[in-house]
Amino acid sequence: MSNRAWPDGDDPVATELRQALDEAQHRVPDDVTVRRGWAAFGSRPTTGRRAARLSWFAGGMASTAGLALACAALLWPRHVQTPVQGPVAAQAPTEARRLTLEGGVEAELQHTSVMRIEGSDARVEGGAVRFKVPHRRPGHPFVVRADRYRVVVLGTRFGVAVASDRRVDVDVDEGVVEVWSADVRLAHLEPGQRWNSAVSSEAETTAGPAGKAAEAQEAQTEAPELPAAAPAEKLVPSPGLKFGRPETRRRQSARGAARVAMVATPARSTVESPGAARAALVAGDAPRALEIYRNLALKTGPVAENAAYEIGRILNERGQSSAAVAAWRRYRSDYPSGILRVEADVSIIETLARAGETDDALTEATDFLRRRPDSERRGEIARVAGDLYRARGDCRHAVGAYQVALSASRARDVTEAAGFYRAACLVRDGGNSGVDALRSYLRSYPDGRFKRQATELIEQATSKTAAH
Amino acid sequence: MGPNTKDNGEAVNTPGALRSVPAGKGGGHDHDILAGCRVGDRSAWRALFDRYSPIVHRFLATFGVPPEEREDACQEVFVAVYRSLTHFRGDARLSTWIYRIAARYASRAARRRRVRTMLSSLLLREPLPPPAPDASERSERLRMLDELVAKLSPKKKLVLVLFEIEGLPIEEVAQIAECPENTAWSRLHYARAELMAMARKRLKAKAPATGRKVRS
Repeated sequence: MSNRAWPDGDDPVATELRQALDEAQHRVPDDVTVRRGWAAFGSRPTTGRRAARLSWFAGGMASTAGLALACAALLWPRHVQTPVQGPVAAQAPTEARRLTLEGGVEAELQHTSVMRIEGSDARVEGGAVRFKVPHRRPGHPFVVRADRYRVVVLGTRFGVAVASDRRVDVDVDEGVVEVWSADVRLAHLEPGQRWNSAVSSEAETTAGPAGKAAEAQEAQTEAPELPAAAPAEKLVPSPGLKFGRPETRRRQSARGAARVAMVATPARSTVESPGAARAALVAGDAPRALEIYRNLALKTGPVAENAAYEIGRILNERGQSSAAVAAWRRYRSDYPSGILRVEADVSIIETLARAGETDDALTEATDFLRRRPDSERRGEIARVAGDLYRARGDCRHAVGAYQVALSASRARDVTEAAGFYRAACLVRDGGNSGVDALRSYLRSYPDGRFKRQATELIEQATSKTAAH
Repeated sequence: MGPNTKDNGEAVNTPGALRSVPAGKGGGHDHDILAGCRVGDRSAWRALFDRYSPIVHRFLATFGVPPEEREDACQEVFVAVYRSLTHFRGDARLSTWIYRIAARYASRAARRRRVRTMLSSLLLREPLPPPAPDASERSERLRMLDELVAKLSPKKKLVLVLFEIEGLPIEEVAQIAECPENTAWSRLHYARAELMAMARKRLKAKAPATGRKVRS
């Protein structure tokens, strides 16, 4: 129910506009986008004032160069043709023909080749076409369809050929290319590698899990066609290969419609999306959300990575801490340098600490502190490590960990707790420095959370000294 | 005159009611985050990014930055925040300051897009293909709103987006738009009237096809 005062009235226009404005208010990016943004922003090289001043000079030079290039482009004879949008057949004449597609993708059709432009992607219907694809944003691959196969690229040079018997050949010059059929990844090709299909049969329309297994097998049978230097195992289905559910009538018809529509990428082609998982969570259906994330985690790309992490989070929220830790450890092994690697490490440490697995938690925490000297979570983890040492009665190591927390973080909840517990540990060790540290804590946090305990500890320590 | 009416009786949104606008995450107060950011605390930067990047993203989306440029645009805004944070005196709210940076960036980006379109039409002699629609924006209503908002003049667009979508109070809108409050009210009034007229015209044109009645 909208609570906005404008546009008021019950007429359809006002209602429509109200709803549109409400929808616009809720147009926030998903977690993956925000995390990807932070990963890019956090790792961005920073420039100082000098660089900012130099940027004026650089800007001037760039403008001059741009102007020169623009003049050159204006005067240069144009050979490249940009086809219009929509399902337009491009029949190559007797000689090779070059086209520039959306996103700067260059396609070179060999003679008598036929290619259709489908939205932002392409379909090779016959003959051979070589593509040069500029680097694409993650999650927005360029897709070339050939017969029932999809060739998914993120930026590379490769060729696709469809023979008269519908045999599809894919070879790669640069970058990495994946060949998909429905939801099954058939091959992952690297430079110099080649893949080809057997003759397509009409059995595809009835392909269930068995049919897809046959397709995967089909790809395996092509391994002998690899160049001698290429590793043959690249062409067998990957360990993460998923044999999808039996294809429904709706999906079959959707595939037919894709002839004239933009081809969806593998990550987006399923109904199961991160949004659906979040909706299931909001509706309280955690098992469904878990199922969606598990299926998403079998795919590739940032969505799969996020799903692999979210599985652990949901399990943890459902009280299955050991399963959650196992899920995050699986995430770590699948994505050792993933965007959420630090989150996974921290989640594991916190969950183990909460579950009372002190030894495991300490091992993880010390490993984290050793491996990540620049992490912004260092302070939190050092504080957790200090708490764990303190719980074991190891005051000496606890003091060291709290010291690290104090030097690594400026967040009040971390520094205040670390400051107090460090002082308490020093008092327990019996040195005079403990009382000084407690007084320093009280000076820094006159109304702090541990004011009463700090005062009591000081009184106890001074009375003990007086008794001696 | 209720809380939802201006002096002249015109209906306005209660800023408090619009505080339910989904904002970014991240704990802590702005001044704590700012203090941390100023001394180079990465966790503070992370909190700042988590809190404000969804807001910046939404603002850029409504302001007409196309989906394929949005992530980069958001990055640029935060890089600008990073570079200028030392100059932020704290006279305004942090959100106001970030909105102002985002608004400047969005205006510059719109100008650049216009120049690019003009240049490409000059150099290639044919228009660039339109960008592929973003799957996250399948809603017909949102598309309609984006198209209508894009037709407003930049000044009216800014005031309308900040007030109606971002839910900011008019004094903050005026600060971001760098104009007096009365001017902001005036721009808002005309922007609303134009938006309503365009929506009416558009839905009326669609009405025969959908069979819906639209009052003129």
